[in-house]
Amino acid sequence: MTQEPGTSAAVRVRDLWKRFGQQVAVAGIDLELPAGRFIGLVGPNGAGKTTTLSMVTGLLRPDRGSVEVVGHDVWRDPAAVKARIGVLPEGLRLFERLSGRELLTYTGRLRGLPGAEVDRRATQLLDVLDLAGSQHKLVVDYSTGMRKKIGLAAALLHNPEVLFLDEPFEGVDPVSAQTIRGVLERYTATGGTVVFSSHVMELVESLCDWVAVMAAGRIRAHGPLAEVRGQAPTLQQAFLELVGARDRDAGAGLDWLGGGAR
Amino acid sequence: MSAGAPTRTGAEGAGTAAEGAGTAPVTPVVVRLKLALLRNGLRRSGGRRAAYITTAVVVLLFALLQLLGLVALRGNAHALPVVLLLAAVLALGWAVMPLFFPGGDETLDASRLVMLPLRPGPLVRALLAASLVGIGPLFTLVLLAGSVVAVAHGGAAWAVGAAAVLLGLLTCVALARAVATANVRLLSSRKGRDLAVLSGLVIALGAQAVNFGWQRLGAQGLGRLDPVADVLRWIPPASALGAVDSAGRGSYGAAVAQLGLTAGALALLLGVWARTLTRLMTAPDASTLQAAEPGERERGGRAGGLARLLPGGRTGTVMHRSLLYVWRDPKTKAAWVTSLAIGLIVPVFNAVQGTGSPYFACFASGMLGIQMYNQFGQDTSAFWMVALTISSPRDAYVELRGRALALLLITLPYATLVTVVTTAVLDDWPRLPEVLGLSFALLGAMLATGAWTSARFPYSIPQDGYKNVAPGQAGLAWISIFGGMVAAGLLCTPVIAAAIWAGLGPDGAAWSPLLLPAGAVYGAGLTLLGLRLAAPRAAARLPEILTAVGKG
Repeated sequence: MTQEPGTSAAVRVRDLWKRFGQQVAVAGIDLELPAGRFIGLVGPNGAGKTTTLSMVTGLLRPDRGSVEVVGHDVWRDPAAVKARIGVLPEGLRLFERLSGRELLTYTGRLRGLPGAEVDRRATQLLDVLDLAGSQHKLVVDYSTGMRKKIGLAAALLHNPEVLFLDEPFEGVDPVSAQTIRGVLERYTATGGTVVFSSHVMELVESLCDWVAVMAAGRIRAHGPLAEVRGQAPTLQQAFLELVGARDRDAGAGLDWLGGGAR
Repeated sequence: MSAGAPTRTGAEGAGTAAEGAGTAPVTPVVVRLKLALLRNGLRRSGGRRAAYITTAVVVLLFALLQLLGLVALRGNAHALPVVLLLAAVLALGWAVMPLFFPGGDETLDASRLVMLPLRPGPLVRALLAASLVGIGPLFTLVLLAGSVVAVAHGGAAWAVGAAAVLLGLLTCVALARAVATANVRLLSSRKGRDLAVLSGLVIALGAQAVNFGWQRLGAQGLGRLDPVADVLRWIPPASALGAVDSAGRGSYGAAVAQLGLTAGALALLLGVWARTLTRLMTAPDASTLQAAEPGERERGGRAGGLARLLPGGRTGTVMHRSLLYVWRDPKTKAAWVTSLAIGLIVPVFNAVQGTGSPYFACFASGMLGIQMYNQFGQDTSAFWMVALTISSPRDAYVELRGRALALLLITLPYATLVTVVTTAVLDDWPRLPEVLGLSFALLGAMLATGAWTSARFPYSIPQDGYKNVAPGQAGLAWISIFGGMVAAGLLCTPVIAAAIWAGLGPDGAAWSPLLLPAGAVYGAGLTLLGLRLAAPRAAARLPEILTAVGKG
């Protein structure tokens, strides 16, 4: 995937707004995410990342604005969009009384894949994600890492063009995180687009080649990683500068803390 | 937690640590902890206080009534069997209660005490003493005392009676503690929480069974209990009351043996309790591993078999998941079992008691049809997985139709069965086709209104605890269920009118059998229409439905 940006945007967001009661969660986002990249949506807790991803994937209706995914409007042409995206939301349940394998079979068939094909793909995904041993266990008994992995498998099953992952590494142990990482890297290497949200800068910096920084419902900066990082030594530093939190000295009031009992 | 209790216990704990572990007065501390927990639980909200006081008053009134009954029973030939059975039921209740209400008593949960430097011996004593505080033990005490009054004759019997009350009460409490401690792994695991959701149901059905048995007993006399009594008088803790009777008859050897039996049981229970407590406090917790392992292979096999029998495509997939959830999801299962039980009990019991009518059989259709309501709420926030695969009214139609078909797979045979059984009990066969037709029409109307309200008035079902509606959505749930039921009733008026005409008209009886096909076709038509009307609504409102059902 080497088309120029603009003609091949995976996601195009225009003037997106969402308000919950008094609080404006997303305050007018304009954003174009290039196809075939590993894209990180970063921001502190409460920045509006989850709300944005929910609206982009059609799970939440925006108050205003439009969203296009691979050239199709999410709200006017849902069939075209839903067939092309995979989603792993944060804070929503799965059908937890199904076993891991049953969950994949269920998802695949709802997506209209033939039964034999679903079985084949599910077996491979379970293998690669190291879930084969617990495929017959109910998802309700899975650990956080296993849930994220089975959710990722369900999102990948129909080979989507764009993958939206909300905090895919939150609460995941290092081994599972490495497995997820490997699968995602393989997916982007063959042309897939990954959009994932996180507040762990080191992770985003090591994984992504394109980032969008969100704070207080707005996009503060976006572009290739090196561009957003600019002169700052790390993305963490650049980010703190962008959201204006760099000079806060946390230790000033706690002079009694540490150094043994007094 | 409270403001007062921890500081006090903390201060005492520090004091005892300084004095040395040997003389630690653990018992008063734990008893006071229990009282503080009770008090603070009440302080938390007015509603809870009102509920607790109401419960206490009702339980004590009930206990007093029982006491009066038992005192009145004194001198009756059947007093002993009744008293023995009562003691056995009490013990059973004590054994079962902690399984159903694991969160009820925080001091029951030994894992909260793990970090304290306590030995099992004093701990068991202290916990036993703490267990004696509360309404339950008071209730038991009153009943046991009443039982002694009912069967004690002579000075020796009264003396044995005093010991029997004490031993019986301690045995009951120790039983509850031992069972709870032995099952604490289960109770803190997912399976235990599932069980807790089902518990209210088991108790309701159990009460129904006891009620029915009691009525039978009333009809056939207490003499039937005598063989049971011969066995129970040797089984603790009922044997303690047996001892009172034996002492009254002058057979002191038997009295001592029976009392000894109860004391032995108490010692055994305390021993088992102390041992499990020690193991629990020293061994690592592996609750999820333990609970999840068994039955895996069998589960996979069964699911595969079920899937093969269902149609392909989205229809079969949706049906499969719905049916699995009826069995595996505790909330769904509880709702289904309630509907199935009430749908059967109301018409058939009424028929058995001679007050029924075959038309009561429609109750089964009505109860089971309710399961179609709030379909998406039953999914909880996992509905996003469905929402992401619905991109047209057609998809929504197939989704809703699949759910209705899964429901029909259970409902249709069941409603037919209930109708046939009710008709058979009443021996009113000529009405069977007519009632069946009415049943099917009602079922169809319930499915239709259920599908429509599912799309129009979805609400969240919290997954933990006993509540079936999320806070703030009760109005929505009432509109959905009651509006839907009224609408379903109205939709059935043509069939009801035809049934009335068939019953009253001059040659109506000849036409009555026609109501079966007519009702079935009418019901099917209503369902299809309901699904057709609901589907575009559901497809257009996916994000709104997800928001509404995701609050659980």
